[in-house]
Amino acid sequence: MQRGMTIGLFAAGVVLAVVAYLEGGWARVLAGLSGTGHLLIAVAVLIVAAFVLAGLIQVMISKEAVTRWLGEGSGWRGLLIGGLAGALVPGGPYVYYPIAVAFLKSGASIGTIITFVVAKNLWTLSRLPIEVALLGLHLTWVRYVVTLLFPLVAGALAEVLFRGASRWVRDGLPGESDEAHGGGPA
Amino acid sequence: MILATAILVGLAAVMAIVAYRQDPARPAAGALAGLRLLWTMLPMLIAAFFVAGMLAVALPPQLVHRWLASTSGLLDVVIGSAAGALIPGGPYVSFPIIAAIHQAGASLAATVALITGWAVWNVGLLSFELAIVGPRFTLIRVAATLVLPPAAGLLVHAIFG
Repeated sequence: MQRGMTIGLFAAGVVLAVVAYLEGGWARVLAGLSGTGHLLIAVAVLIVAAFVLAGLIQVMISKEAVTRWLGEGSGWRGLLIGGLAGALVPGGPYVYYPIAVAFLKSGASIGTIITFVVAKNLWTLSRLPIEVALLGLHLTWVRYVVTLLFPLVAGALAEVLFRGASRWVRDGLPGESDEAHGGGPA
Repeated sequence: MILATAILVGLAAVMAIVAYRQDPARPAAGALAGLRLLWTMLPMLIAAFFVAGMLAVALPPQLVHRWLASTSGLLDVVIGSAAGALIPGGPYVSFPIIAAIHQAGASLAATVALITGWAVWNVGLLSFELAIVGPRFTLIRVAATLVLPPAAGLLVHAIFG
């Protein structure tokens, strides 16, 4: 599955490259490639730090603690903790997705992790200054007011609709399928 | 970026110290587990960055701009949400584009739908999510957030007129 995903992503990238070529020729494609390269170099340290942090979370925080605070029975408290963590975690997708994987592996429920991801998308504190600076106070205020409950709503919805799916999602994590033994609970 | 890196390195250092107190072998085990995960995911990560970079040049901002500047009514909320999903890049790239669209005449509701669509449905983020967390999680996350961007726009209509 992991190899299929990589090939699928590369194929999507190639399709986009063709679109870029049709729009602006090779110059456009090269601009995209150099953008990719620059971004990769700029975030390399961040990515390594994020994965080390995810690994530390996994070995340090006991399955029992994660299950108790963020697991199936954690309810609204679990969603709130997930949301708060999402609002506070800095960095891009290569930071919070590995962290989400670490928590899922440690027994967090699907709903709390959905809330974590959506809160990162909508509540993220580190983005607030730039949002106010570039979009203005009024627009930012209105946006925060109307989306305030969204992370909790999305998590609660996932919890209700996909309650039994946590295990299925855990078994489908990319790192999991490639290892000879997952080391998961029997 | 530097601040985020500093915070993450600081967090990892604090975690490592706490882990060391639990068991001196634990920080190395954790770091190794993380790096092994990174190693298995590296091809997918590079592919995801490739998609993100290509998305940025394949979708010219003017295109999104043209779709949204002239629409109004309830349709603008739906178009805004979908257009938001297609705006590439992080906040430093996207917010200037969104600000320009708003100034060009997009309504408050459409602009909020645009920001929410960009934040929640973001196509660029999707490739990272698929690569790192896998398609099963992505499927459920998309299902649980499907109505959020249009809902944000409709709420603006309802609350702020």
